[in-house]
Amino acid sequence: MVRVRTLHRRKGFFRDSLRTPILLFTSLLFLTVNGLWIPTASGEKIITVGSKNFMENRLLAELFAQLIESRTDLTVLRRLGLAGTQVCFEALKTGGIDLYPEYTGTGLVTILGGEPMNNPTEVLNRVRSQFLQRWNLWWLTPLGFDNSYALALRRDRAQELGVRTLSDLARIAPTLKAGFGYEFMKRPDGLPGLQETYGLQFREVVGMQQTLKYQATANGDIDLLDVYTTDGRLSVYDFLILEDDQRFFPPYDATALVRGDTLERYPELAAVLSLLTNALTREQMRKWNLLVQEQGQPVTQVARQILEDLQLVADQEPGSPTYHQQPSQSLFAYMWHLRGTLAMRTWEHLGLAGLGLLLGIALAIPLGLLLERWRTGAETMIRIIGMSQTIPSIALLAFMIPLFGVGTFPAIMALWIYSLFPILRNTFSGLRDAAPNVVETGRALGMTEWQILRSVRLPLAAPTIMAGVRTSAIWTLGTATLAAFIGAGGLGVPIVAGLQLADVNLILSGALPATILALAVDALLAWVETIVKPQGLDPVR
Amino acid sequence: MMTTWALKADHVSKQFPDGTLALEQIDWAVEEGETMALIGESGSGKTTLLRLLNRLAEPTTGTIVVQGKPAASQDPIRLRRSLGYVPQDGGLFPHWTIKRNVCLVPHLLNWSAEDQDDQFQHLMQLINLDAAQMAERYPIELSGGQRQRVAVARALGANPAIVLLDEPFGALDPLTRQELQHQFLTLKQRIQKTMVIITHDLPEAFKLADRITVLKKGHIHQVGTPEALVKTPATSYVQSLIESHGSSW
Repeated sequence: MVRVRTLHRRKGFFRDSLRTPILLFTSLLFLTVNGLWIPTASGEKIITVGSKNFMENRLLAELFAQLIESRTDLTVLRRLGLAGTQVCFEALKTGGIDLYPEYTGTGLVTILGGEPMNNPTEVLNRVRSQFLQRWNLWWLTPLGFDNSYALALRRDRAQELGVRTLSDLARIAPTLKAGFGYEFMKRPDGLPGLQETYGLQFREVVGMQQTLKYQATANGDIDLLDVYTTDGRLSVYDFLILEDDQRFFPPYDATALVRGDTLERYPELAAVLSLLTNALTREQMRKWNLLVQEQGQPVTQVARQILEDLQLVADQEPGSPTYHQQPSQSLFAYMWHLRGTLAMRTWEHLGLAGLGLLLGIALAIPLGLLLERWRTGAETMIRIIGMSQTIPSIALLAFMIPLFGVGTFPAIMALWIYSLFPILRNTFSGLRDAAPNVVETGRALGMTEWQILRSVRLPLAAPTIMAGVRTSAIWTLGTATLAAFIGAGGLGVPIVAGLQLADVNLILSGALPATILALAVDALLAWVETIVKPQGLDPVR
Repeated sequence: MMTTWALKADHVSKQFPDGTLALEQIDWAVEEGETMALIGESGSGKTTLLRLLNRLAEPTTGTIVVQGKPAASQDPIRLRRSLGYVPQDGGLFPHWTIKRNVCLVPHLLNWSAEDQDDQFQHLMQLINLDAAQMAERYPIELSGGQRQRVAVARALGANPAIVLLDEPFGALDPLTRQELQHQFLTLKQRIQKTMVIITHDLPEAFKLADRITVLKKGHIHQVGTPEALVKTPATSYVQSLIESHGSSW
């Protein structure tokens, strides 16, 4: 007889196979809870400022925040870079944020669903009365500039084509390729309305990210693009803005949109923010936007400069830089410089994904056990939970806002839902398929169902369950980058900011740690997988 | 003289939820100490009958009696622990060592560690395997024949009076199979237990069993010794069964 290696005896399933992962998860849970804990002194007056995920809006939000900080004793929480109008508005309605910069035209068309109107005062009055009546939300006095949509193309190309107005454009549009932002393509005051008013039909329309459009137009990859009239890049690129000769685009006057109960609680807020009434022109705004968009100056610094320019604060040292360094720096030096911030973001990221995953494990494994006991309907139930996977992650995050507001909590909820399916599926099928003949023998020899579950089926299913956990972990870590869109922080913050600025270093400073994190967690869980795998299942080598 | 019945089925029928009638009005009994073979094609009801004995299934009508007591009145877990069971593929727990597998039922019955050790030594001796060498090994490290012997040892774990075997040698190669049949006969002499052994192989039934039950489509065609089956086959089915193996008997 061949002498084979004698394997170490294992005394009990719980003592040997589960101890390590349980310890691991408990300590992870402890760490993540610690990481997310934000200590706030009781009785502290807190106000939350939100913004959409484009630079001007961030800049205005930061401007509001700094002004409030310098002129009141309120503590300002920033939830900058929320994913678009609906997310911001939902967050405002539900109290997730107290105020954010909004544009009158957006309020009228996108939120109220009203017909576009041309007169700025009429638009302001309309949104004021409607928002007040319906939601007790207040439009403060306009900041002085309007940031409308416009269509633009390269000046030389415009001259060559002989177009100056949108009516001119309509005639030659079928020969042109347009690159538009996704929101623009959907909004009634964007492409759909424009097509109706001017009868525009393009040869081809591609959806593009804001930053990329400029480059693509300059390169001639696309013929024209939609722009915001205050976009800083307009003073860099030689583009011609086509005249809206039929006055289709509604006015988009920028101002603060604030919750009524916040104003009631902190009456000083309205007075402080009204210092910004008519303080900024369109040209000034382009200049400031250019600083953040193209020259990579931090939003905090530029906001500070604006306030100094307006003589609303005394000249001081600018605030600490957040993300932007000299663009010429190497990626490594850049990331090294930001190591503190990045470590904090990585920690946040791990916290979001880790907590989502732990909650997922805590629900999906017991649910898998239950479903396996009551098989009828199990498949249906699993399919229903499986459908959660088909919801695009960003949409799922957005769904959380009416329920839980913005920030960490809704992000964890969304990640939780995302993490369920692979674990549930694998727990269910792992238990169901765990050596049925062996299970039947255990039963025939007088083991109780509980004994069979604990000593036979769970150990045999453990590798499969663990594989599900591993899949979930990777998904959750990946999806957590999107949490930045609802203000939950994490490594998505530099990624999202970098996308808006087309700053590769900034994108990589988030993407690289995220990737490393995913690889590290995958390796860690692979190791856990070998631990929970009972001995005796592999042929002896 | 009164015969003692180890196992009895009185007017037993078993119908599955899908309407299949697996057993129809069976009257059947196994004497204490005898080895009874159940033979029949698949679908004959032999596996169902075996499963009724340890209450893995319940009869639709009729009564199963195990060691003088109606099975239905016994706690199924206790009942099963008092009946040995060997499935076709051994059914050893792959993640348990041989010793843990063999001592499963003693462990379930809370035997002391010393008693379990003694029992393990004793059982391994019965099946001709080296206890010290085998104790810490895992089933995958054993040959098919060794695994099947371990399965038999496990079935005898807590000294049951009755052992149920479901095609115990069905999955083995012919040589190993012969060897194990031979060992089984030796073992049978030594332990003197009531055994019910399912097989679809008539020569095996003739070799191992004291009496044979021939089942077909839920009915018993004949219960008798090998000689009785050969000399006075009760039905044409039994006769054809014997004749198809005629040359060797």
